[in-house]
Formats: sequence, C-alpha cells, structure tokens
Amino acid sequence: MPYTLPQLRLLILLAMTLLMGLGVREWRARYPDAADRLERFDREESAVPLEPDAPAPAPPSSASRRAAPPIATPAVSGLSPPGSAPTGTAPPPPAQPIDVNRADAAELARLPGVSSALAQRIVEERERRGRFDSPEALRYVLGMGPKKLAAIRPFVTVSD
Amino acid sequence: MTDRPRALEAAPLLPLAVAFAAGIAAAAWYENTPPRLLIAAGAMLLVAALLLSARRPRVALTMALAAIALCGALRTAPAPLPLDHLARRALDARVTLEARLDQEPVRWALDRTRLLVEVDALHLGPERLPASGRVQLTVYGEPTAPLGEGQRILVDARVYRPIGFRNPGGFDYPAHLRRDGILLVGNTRGDRVTALTPDLPPWRVAAKRWAVTVITTRLPETSGALLAGLLLGERTALPRESDEAFRRAGVYHILAVSGFNVALLAGAVFTGLALCGVPRRGTAVVAAAVLLAFAAVVGAQPSVLRATVMGLLLLAALLLDRESQLPNALALAALALLIWRPGDLWEPGFQLSFAATAGIVYLTPWLTRLLVDRGWPNWLAAATAVSLGAQAAVTPLMLLHFNQLSLVGIVANLAVVPLAGVATTLGMGALLVELASATVADLLFQALWLVLLALRAAVHVAAALPAAMVHLPAPGPATVTAWYVALLLAPLAAGSRRLRAVVGLLLVVVGVLSAWPWLRPTESMLRVTFLDIGQGDAALIELPEGPRLLVDGGPGGGRRFDVGERVLAPFLWNRPLGRLDAVALSHWDLDHSGGLAAVFTHFDVGEFWESGRPPPGPSDAVTALARSRTPRRVLTAGRRLWIGRALITVLGPGAGPPGAANDDSLVLRLDWRGVSLLLAGDLGSRGEAQLVERGGPLRTLALKVAHHGSRFSSTAPFLEATQPHLAVISVGARNPFGHPSPDALARLVSSGARVYRTDRDGAVILETDGRRLRVTTWATGAVEELDLVSGDTTAPE
Repeated sequence: MPYTLPQLRLLILLAMTLLMGLGVREWRARYPDAADRLERFDREESAVPLEPDAPAPAPPSSASRRAAPPIATPAVSGLSPPGSAPTGTAPPPPAQPIDVNRADAAELARLPGVSSALAQRIVEERERRGRFDSPEALRYVLGMGPKKLAAIRPFVTVSD
Repeated sequence: MTDRPRALEAAPLLPLAVAFAAGIAAAAWYENTPPRLLIAAGAMLLVAALLLSARRPRVALTMALAAIALCGALRTAPAPLPLDHLARRALDARVTLEARLDQEPVRWALDRTRLLVEVDALHLGPERLPASGRVQLTVYGEPTAPLGEGQRILVDARVYRPIGFRNPGGFDYPAHLRRDGILLVGNTRGDRVTALTPDLPPWRVAAKRWAVTVITTRLPETSGALLAGLLLGERTALPRESDEAFRRAGVYHILAVSGFNVALLAGAVFTGLALCGVPRRGTAVVAAAVLLAFAAVVGAQPSVLRATVMGLLLLAALLLDRESQLPNALALAALALLIWRPGDLWEPGFQLSFAATAGIVYLTPWLTRLLVDRGWPNWLAAATAVSLGAQAAVTPLMLLHFNQLSLVGIVANLAVVPLAGVATTLGMGALLVELASATVADLLFQALWLVLLALRAAVHVAAALPAAMVHLPAPGPATVTAWYVALLLAPLAAGSRRLRAVVGLLLVVVGVLSAWPWLRPTESMLRVTFLDIGQGDAALIELPEGPRLLVDGGPGGGRRFDVGERVLAPFLWNRPLGRLDAVALSHWDLDHSGGLAAVFTHFDVGEFWESGRPPPGPSDAVTALARSRTPRRVLTAGRRLWIGRALITVLGPGAGPPGAANDDSLVLRLDWRGVSLLLAGDLGSRGEAQLVERGGPLRTLALKVAHHGSRFSSTAPFLEATQPHLAVISVGARNPFGHPSPDALARLVSSGARVYRTDRDGAVILETDGRRLRVTTWATGAVEELDLVSGDTTAPE
C-alpha cells in the first residue's frame, strides 16, 4: 500500500469535504432563495432592508393594561408647522420657514441646495444630538458648509 | 497523590511572574517614586546575596522575590513625556496634525471610523512644528480616500483629553487609553482627512486584508463575518444580534484569536507535515515560523502573544528534546508580556486569557480524574473538565468586568468548541488552497458554510434558553480572593480532611458575600444619583426601604455607541436591583429616552411613567418598551402618588393643548422627611412660566436644572419660585449646544444655589437621612455635608 493509515484517513477526509462542498454549491445554485433564508435564520427582521414606505410597527394593544394611550399615535400633522406639508416635486424655496427640529427629510429637501441625502443626514444628526440649538448647529451635519448654511439661513427656524 | 508540588518545581518562572505581577498591582495603590524604588530593589538584592552566603537560602529567596516585585512596580512608573508631546500643549479647539496611522482604521459603526495615529508635526498657520504623541481619532462620515496602516495623513481635528463616563463602578476609559500610550483623543470628519502618501500597507496588513476579502467574497455575509472573527479576530462586520448571541451563550471567547487558534494552527501544520513524512525537527521549525507569521498578521493582543510565546516554548522543547512544562510556559508568557506592557495586567483581555489557561492547566487534570471516577466516558470527562476549568477561573473576572455570568456556557462550549475547531482548521486550509486554486478553495468554503451554519445554530439555541446569561453585581476583592484560594486548594484537598473543610468554608464565604447585597437590611436613606452619561439626563432615585425610580435613561440605542447599554445598564447591574419599581420619562428626545432601550431589555420594570405626549417616531426605546410589556401610566399636573414612603407630586405637563415637546416635559417633585427634589426635565422659559402660573409646591431643596442649563431655561421667576439650595446640571462635556450657558449658570448662582454639573463633577450623588445631606461628586471624590436642620455646610475630613 502506498499510504500509511493516517495518510489514507486524511485523504478520505479531504475527498469527503470536497464532495460535500460540491453538493452544497450545486444546491445553493439551484435554490438560491432557500440558501439565503438559511443564511439569515438567526437574523432579526430589521436586518432585511425596509420598503421605502413601510408603515411603522403597530403598537401592541393596551386594552388589557391600565388606562394608557397607545404610544405611537399619529402626531406628525399636529406638530409640523402649517404650510410645510410635503408637496410633490421639485421645490421652490418654502414660503414659510422650516423648523429644522421638527421637519422630516422630505420637507428639509425643499431647502435650496439641500439634496435628499443631505436632508436625511440632517435628520440623523438631529436624532443623534436630540435637537439643534441654533441654525449654526447645522454645521455639524456632514456636507453643510458655510455657504450652504448661508443660503438656507433665511428659510429655517429652530424651535427650542 | 497530587501534581502540584512537581508542577511547581518544574515551573521556576512561576514565582518570578507572580512577584512581578504583584509589584505592578501594588504600584496602583501608592505613589511610587522611581529613584527610591530603585534603591530599595538594589538594597534588597544585596541583602539577598549576603543572606545566601550566610546559608539562609529561604530568606534570601523571599528578599529576591520582593526585589522583583519592586522591579514590577518600577516598570509601571510612567516615562516622562517628551518635550514636544502634544499633551504638553494647550491646544486650540481645532488643530491641524501631520500623523502616521499606527493601525488599520476600525469601522465600528455605519459612519464612524476609529484611527490610531502617531503625530509627527503640528501645523500652526504656515508653521510646521515637530510634535509627538499618540492620538485616537474618531472620523465621522466617509473618509475621502481609503486609509490604511502606515499611511501618512494630514488631518484637521478637534483634539482633547479623554474623560469617559465617571460613575460608581464605571469603566475607567482614560486609564484604559493611557495604558496604550494614548493621552489625547479627537474627532474629525471624513473630508478633513487628507492622505499624504499612498496606501501601501506592510505585508502583514496586506495579508490580513487579502484573507478578509477572500472570506467575505466566498461566503455569505453573516457566515463570512463569523469566519473572519474565528480566524482573524475581525469582529467589526459581525451583526449585533450574532455578537449578542455569542455573549449570551458564553462562547464569545472563540471570536477572539487565542490559544485555541494558535494550538489548532500549530497542530494542523504539525500533523500535515508529519503525514507528508517531514522529520520532526523540520516540522517544529516550520510550525514555529507559521506561528510567528500568524501572530504578526492578527496583531499584538495579549491573548495572541500569550499563546504564541507558549506555543514557541513548547516547540522549542520539542526541538531540544526537553520535556515541556505548561505552567512554566504560561509563567514565561506572563513575565514577557508584563515586562513589555505592564499596564496590560489591568486589561480584561489579559486577565481572561491567562486565567482561562491557568484554569485549564491547573484544574483540568483533577477535574478529569474526578469525572472519570464517577464513571464518565474518558472523552466526555476530558472535554467537560476543560470547559469547567476555564469557566471556574474566568467567572469572577467576567462578573468584575462585564457583570455577566453565563449559565449555559459550560454546556454550550462542549458543542461550540469542536465546531469552531473544525471551522477554524478548514478555514485556514481553504485560505491556503486559495493561493493555488480558486476552484478547489471555493468547494472547501462551500463545505465550510455548512459547518458555520451548524455553529450558528448551536449558539442560537444556547442563547435562546431562558436565563442563558444573568447579570450580577461585580464581586468585591474578598469574594474574588476567597474563590481563587478555594480553586487553588481544591485539587489538593482530595487526601486531606482539613483542606476539604477549608475549601468548603471558603465556598460558603463566597456564597454569603455574593448574596450579601440581597441579604443586608435596607438602608433608611434616600439616595439620588445623577449619572454622568454625557449629554442627556438620567437619575436613579433609591428610596428608603428599597423602592427604586429611574428618571430618564440618557442617550443611547441605535447603532452607535450605546450609552444605555455601556454605562447605564452596568451601573444598574452593580446595584443589586431585582427590579426598578418605576421608570419615568420626561419626554421622548433621544438624550433622555435613548438609553431606556437597554433598561427595558435588561431590567424588570414595574411601571413606566410618561407625560402622554407621543414619541416623535419609532425608536429602539419605543420598540423595547412595547416588547417588555411594561404597564404604562400617564401623569399630568396635580397627580400625587406614593412610592414607598416618599410622595411624588406631578407638576407638569398641564392639561392644556400640547406645546413644544420640551415645555411639555413630565416634571416631578419628590418629598421625603422634609427633603425635596424637583426634576424639571427639559423645560424652556415657557414651560417654566406655565409651571409658576399653575402654582403647586415649587420651593425645593434640590433642583435638577431644566434642559442641561440652556440659556432659555432656569429663568429668574422660576428660580424665585423654587429657591433651590442645590442645583444639579446633567450635561455632557463639549456638547455642541453650548450647555450649560453662562447666563443660566449666573442666574442659578445669584439665586443662591450651589451648582453641580455632571460634565465636570462626574456622577453627582445626594444621600440624606432627612437630617443631613451628603453630596458626593464622583470625578473628584469630593464629599460635602449639609446640615438640613441648621443649614451649615461642612466638608468632612
């Protein structure tokens, strides 16, 4: 026999591994969806990218609890300043100043020179900091330079 | 009868390593002055030599060991800062630095990258001044060019001294950085980093990058991230929930590069070459070379260095035909590491690595024999003994550093470690094959995917068990010492009744000391802790006879540095809280509610108190609250409720239509034995005015100042109505809002209040029995006492 016993064992193990790999490859090529589901079996749902207009998760019924209102009631309409309702397409500068501590990304994107990506970053920065104390604090947003800030300055307010 | 005496004789380095470590540890307790220590050490050695010539070898040995301990203490003395060190300068808010990247950049959140740089020069206008110092920079956003180790950059950054979060039992972040030679930290934006040289990393970095790229292209994302952790300790791409599952299952150690990887690598090389007929000495040399290369690639963490030193020593023993001694190898590794970096003694990674190895080396033979005697099959007994030995040794350390006790760890390791072993070996083999043939390597990676899935499934099942991991307060030094002495004596106790009794007694001591926080009588004292959680609010109110109320949870949640998880939760774990009787939230701003996500996830909360104003949108705290099914109670002005013997009066918000979120903050007042505290949330001037208008009991002893000391809050009429003696401002250093404002501070001071602020004082702790009030500021350690009857202020001792 050309091989010792341990050598033979290793060879068989190697061949088995390669064969297994071949099998897995074929299976994954044939059922990519199943393979993808298997890969994500221990991931939380949130790891799946959300649909752009997915509704916020509904609050659990509080009927069985003490008298307390559900925590997520739609409140955006009550909080946004009038006239800042998101309109459809390409924006003329807003007629009324936009409150950067309240406005959502769509409203912020109507400001001159503010792209939707920048608007999104403004919202993220606001969430991180809690609020902007002054319009100057917008400088902390990535991509908000002094010129851009000067351009939008007339159109923004900051609520305390 | 036992292995110990023989083991000790065969480990001549063990006493040296222990003495050296003891010296380092002792140095933390006193101010050491190097010249004096040097003289003392020299004198001791001289005395030892004299004693030796006088034929008193035992005393001489003691003296010599004491001298070595002094050397350990000497080694911790910090070297004087170079004259051009950045930390010697008073730095402007923004500086321009020329620096070299000392490490690969670490991306630790979606838009956050950490750079460790070695500064060469400081640019002041047109001037270029030579400078030195290590600075850890956080880069917000995407750097304009890809960065890599060894690259020289020009960066425009804010540089400051690290402060961390200064709370009782909290992690000392500045000390941790200092041990790494980092005295300054800074932050900057991606577009303010300019590369001066191209990204041409050294070979080891290039090899690591290549390996990570291969792994992530050959395997789907989560499995790939897991393999990168197993093989290279690269955990940054691992999703948060997987990371958490490995912690809960008590198998997180396999994600760190450790002796496990080193042993597998050496073993694989050795077996492979031996099977190919290479002679033994040849294989040992090759294996040693592979180990060194591996250590260089994965980087100099304590666990890697320990394993590499030990591995090399064992291989050397093989080469020289000497019997290898594990305890001695371990001691040599400890000695070498501590001489090189004495501060590592305090690092959890160092302690866990050495404790686990020592536990395995020392306890496993005894445990195996114990289990085999009980009729366990040999293989199972050996595997369980390794798992048990390591767990027993690291348990106090895990509690001390992380408050974690994994209950399934011992069992989970039995399944996870073999799978991780197969995955690691196969992964290394596949990477090697990748160099030769991509097709064959792909097949190996496909097979590996199945192993990784099985590994993830095992971890997932273990982590999903109820009470897989419990959180307990950190044990005190007496408990830890008693536990380790018991472990040390346990293997020797088999033959001796007396020793067995001692071990039993020690275990009882450990049990009683661990349970003491729950057994001790409740204090008849009110304690309020305003936590240092950066920019935000969080206060824990501990009432006499036990009830606990948490008001706000500080910032946190989300994918960034989670203050709730890293600061608030450990603080609460370190108090033996069964539960929080109530959590009150002033309003939903993230600097108040963010950290509550961790609170609702980890703690049993009796009730959630809120103002009834809805949250602005979905957030982690909202989700965690809903998931925890905590009963909710909406409070409005005029409501009064008792919690224990203290009366809570709700002062805001009023019943009217909703206003600005800050002005609608939930405002609470607490009264107990004539001591009063008013928690003003984030009220602005309008909210304060409404509060005064509405009336109600406003005069208070202590005030949690509204809105972090904003200039729009703490208005004169409000302070006139409340007349606080103590005012606590919960505020983060260097916050972008300019809190606390000088105007508000001036108003507070002129109203006669003594002002405390968490950005300077760290946690502010008020303790009172109703007659005296004690204020402790944690960062400075200062204690002030106020006699509530006479009104005198004193500073004891």
